[in-house]
Amino acid sequence: MLFKSVINEFIKIVAKPRSYLGIGAITVLVGVILFALKSDGLSILSFVTSSFEQTLSFEGNLLNGNLIAFIILQMLLVQIPLLVALVTGDLISGEFAMGTIRMVMTKPISRTTLLLSKFIAGAVYTACIIIWLGIMALVFGRIFFGTGDLIVLNTDGLVILQEPDILWRYLSGFLVAFLALLTVASLSICLSCFSENSIGPIVATMSIIILFTIIGTLEVSVFDHIRPYLFTTHMASWRNFFEEPIPKSSIIQSIVILVVHNLVFLGISIYTFNKKDISA
Amino acid sequence: MPESIISIQHLSKSFGSFQAVKDVSFQVNKGDVFGFLGPNGAGKSTSMRCMLSLIQADAGEIRLFDLPIKTHRNEILRRTGSIIEKPDFYKYLSAYRNLDIFARISGTYSSKRDIYAMLDFVGLHGREHDKVGNFSHGMKQRLGIAQTLLHNPDLIVLDEPTTGLDPQGIIDVRNLIIRLKEEQQKTIILSSHDLSEIEMIANRMVIINQGKSIVEGSVKELMSTEHLLIRLEAEPVEKAIQVLSNAFPDIAIELKSGNLLEFHLNRSLVPQISQILNAQEVDIYSLEAKRSLEDYFIKIVQQDAI
Repeated sequence: MLFKSVINEFIKIVAKPRSYLGIGAITVLVGVILFALKSDGLSILSFVTSSFEQTLSFEGNLLNGNLIAFIILQMLLVQIPLLVALVTGDLISGEFAMGTIRMVMTKPISRTTLLLSKFIAGAVYTACIIIWLGIMALVFGRIFFGTGDLIVLNTDGLVILQEPDILWRYLSGFLVAFLALLTVASLSICLSCFSENSIGPIVATMSIIILFTIIGTLEVSVFDHIRPYLFTTHMASWRNFFEEPIPKSSIIQSIVILVVHNLVFLGISIYTFNKKDISA
Repeated sequence: MPESIISIQHLSKSFGSFQAVKDVSFQVNKGDVFGFLGPNGAGKSTSMRCMLSLIQADAGEIRLFDLPIKTHRNEILRRTGSIIEKPDFYKYLSAYRNLDIFARISGTYSSKRDIYAMLDFVGLHGREHDKVGNFSHGMKQRLGIAQTLLHNPDLIVLDEPTTGLDPQGIIDVRNLIIRLKEEQQKTIILSSHDLSEIEMIANRMVIINQGKSIVEGSVKELMSTEHLLIRLEAEPVEKAIQVLSNAFPDIAIELKSGNLLEFHLNRSLVPQISQILNAQEVDIYSLEAKRSLEDYFIKIVQQDAI
């Protein structure tokens, strides 16, 4: 029954126009960034490298597809949670808003199975968003800007990664970024279980992300103890794969915290949805 | 002894401080077309939702097919088709795709041919691939019935199935229910505000008011002991009122308009009306004796309120 219900959820997501907003938005945004960097990328790059030019000399194609992909990911991974929440925040509450939940729940499918199927479908949608972002950033970046070594400016200084050493870092980074976005999807599905309108969970998800991000950014000692456990603190942990050496313990900690968040959100969702009266 | 398909005992459900259902009990037997009657807010939909486990009852026992819904939900729902309140579908999907989605989770296999045949059966032939968002209420209701019947359930639960339909739609639904009972021996429970419809279709019924079941039984039995509503046009009207009041001291006569009177009278006394009035030289222009479930229903609800 779970498999059949997952197929149903895929059919619904594929047929909903709002599901394509994310894909469309990524296409447009990446297109704009690629155009901007193609037009004026070199001057931006020289602004970054000028402070190092007294001690280092740069040769070759620095403004290449690998750097472009890194810039795009850095810029867009902040906005993409909204695109994910637009679809996943509607998965349960949308059924209440349309009234279809009455029809679904008079069928011999348990509430837990239905919720799990929505969670799986939401996860696949999130993966599609990340894959599309990867294709747009990395593939189109390489097509338009060629390839080469990757220069990353971190808080510790400049990290230069050789071309053959880059692709696996991107793949690993995308996996962690997927886990971070899956946490956003889980949060929005969880909030969706408390609501009977579509907009509420989407707005609430973004509000929580903004609030947690502010808490994570504020240099206030009161928040020191909770900051490491906020999922928003770990949303940019994909960047750790572009450090040298790679901070493995930091990555593992981020993965554990994100997985725990996912499990907690899923647990709350299952409990709430099973207790909820369908009076819509 | 008839086989019980639905057995509800002392059902209660509250939403916060509001008690929607206080003490509802009734039984539906195999092959019944069972009318579930009550004014707005009486607790009909809440009871039906509890019955299908859409909401959890606070107290009471619900058994369908002699199984408790709490522990055998999926088994019961596999044998049940229902429309609660109104049929809501995925507007961005076609009629075919909507049925396909519900068929997939109904616990039985329905082929493409079954779905097309069902759409044809409810009169949606040619509209299979139109988006439901473009459907009229009547078409959605037909699609709802298709969704209800697709997996060939033994029990059909219809919550106000004719609400919002045009006269032809109401006749179609009524005929469909009769066909389902007569040709396929389905057990059907339906609530409706169109009480005359229940009178036409149902063989048994329960009336609920303010969350309590007031009366339950065969429609014929419940109706047979009841007084009829008499509409009488007579002249002179004052004399008619006086003569009738003397002859039937227990009745309350209401002067509606002009020479038109209305009152309730036991069926056995109706033939005496014309005899008594003619003997007192009161002219009768029209005499209508109406046996109406609606009147019975209103009366019994009013009695319960007192």
